[in-house]
Amino acid sequence: MDDNDFRPAQRSPLIQRAPMASPTAHARPGKPDARPMRLAIFAGGIAVSSALAAAIIRPARPAVVVPAVDTQPETPVATGTPIVVQQPIQYIQLLPGQTAPPGATVIDPDAPKPTAIVATVQAPAARPPARKPIIIRTTQSGKVIP
Amino acid sequence: MITERDLPSPGPRSGRFGRATDGRSAAAGEPIVPFSSAAKSMGGQLTIHLDADAARSAEASRSTAQVIERVQRWAARLTRHSEVSDLSILNADSRDEVPVRPTLAALLRAGRTTTESTEGLTDITLLDARLAAEGLAAEGSAGEIGGRGSRAYDWSLVPGRRGSAVVRRPPELRFDLDGVGKGWIADRALRLLADWPSAVVDADGDLAIRCAPGKTWEVAVDDPRTPEASLAVLRLTAPDGWPARWGVATSGVSIHRWIVDGRPRHHLIDPRTGRPAVTDVVQATVIAGSALRAEALAKAAVIAGSFEGLALLGRARVKGAVLLTDRGEVMALPQTLALLGN
Repeated sequence: MDDNDFRPAQRSPLIQRAPMASPTAHARPGKPDARPMRLAIFAGGIAVSSALAAAIIRPARPAVVVPAVDTQPETPVATGTPIVVQQPIQYIQLLPGQTAPPGATVIDPDAPKPTAIVATVQAPAARPPARKPIIIRTTQSGKVIP
Repeated sequence: MITERDLPSPGPRSGRFGRATDGRSAAAGEPIVPFSSAAKSMGGQLTIHLDADAARSAEASRSTAQVIERVQRWAARLTRHSEVSDLSILNADSRDEVPVRPTLAALLRAGRTTTESTEGLTDITLLDARLAAEGLAAEGSAGEIGGRGSRAYDWSLVPGRRGSAVVRRPPELRFDLDGVGKGWIADRALRLLADWPSAVVDADGDLAIRCAPGKTWEVAVDDPRTPEASLAVLRLTAPDGWPARWGVATSGVSIHRWIVDGRPRHHLIDPRTGRPAVTDVVQATVIAGSALRAEALAKAAVIAGSFEGLALLGRARVKGAVLLTDRGEVMALPQTLALLGN
């Protein structure tokens, strides 16, 4: 191997840089314009803030629980007569000046909101046919004091 | 004492205790048909149920008899219906500091714990308010003494030797242990039955339950509107490989009620007013980790009403709850569904 193989190749005149007219104007490659990205980030931030505010902040006005209208025929809650399950509870947020519909429950916006399953069970007229006798019962204690 | 033969028949049985006579256990998940023994106690009935096959019937009989005898002794110390009970002696003592024996001291500590776990909705210092509600004391004294808003008493327990304690309280403060006592006794009695992997202590409707892996106890929640009817049937099954422990208790205003001056009254005093609670909850059943906790939270749910009560039970992270309202609604926390039978 000849030592000349390691000498730097002579640059082709085609790729030689042109003489710089001004050393300061082209010292570093130009940066991309940051304004479109800033605008996109700003718009995204507004969108996220809006979503969080809508999900977290409770309504300032009271809400109304409208009695449910949908029913389901059977649930395993009780062993007695057929059960009407009030599953969907409609929450309507009152606007200023609006009043609650008749029969609706007005909920204080500051009150805690429990999650519950509600079933309306008719009191059995007579002893229902038991699925199987059960010895253990949990009952209210005490007795009627005349 | 009542034996199992005096209890309602659990249905067709094979063998004395509802088991195959070869003594094999029921299949995993199958409801336990127990050996049961009952006695009058605490103003009601105390019943003990054990998962005992025929081979252990004699042992089960001895165990239940011993526990019932022990419970009778505890109840005798804790009742307010006897002038010689530890509780009555404490209530009658005019000193600011009164020494009490370990059993009463333990129960007073438990009562303070339940006040905290129910966010102040149960209070064992409301005897005078309750007597007023029963028409046995002046109405005004109840509001003054029991009403937390008008006058709150502070009391403390100073630990003594071997579980005893000294009660520091104003002499006019009197304690009413009532349901707290039943829950506490049920839990303690269940501990005495440690040799039985599956056992239930029923302290007049408040249950302390232990279940062996794979076994199931079925518990019916009474419907107070119709005798022998049930609002729900709980299937309490211990997972394979792990024993389980529950407390199930029911409180309400439809059984223990009376008429004073032509008006209906009940025994659940709202500490915020010192008077019987004004509530839409007729009955609340709570499933928790112990009978003491279940009893206190069930009472608190009734006192609080359905809306606040369910919120309270949710915060307390109970294992389940079934509420009956005066509108005929049965309300249950979602986690209750996993405990309901078919």
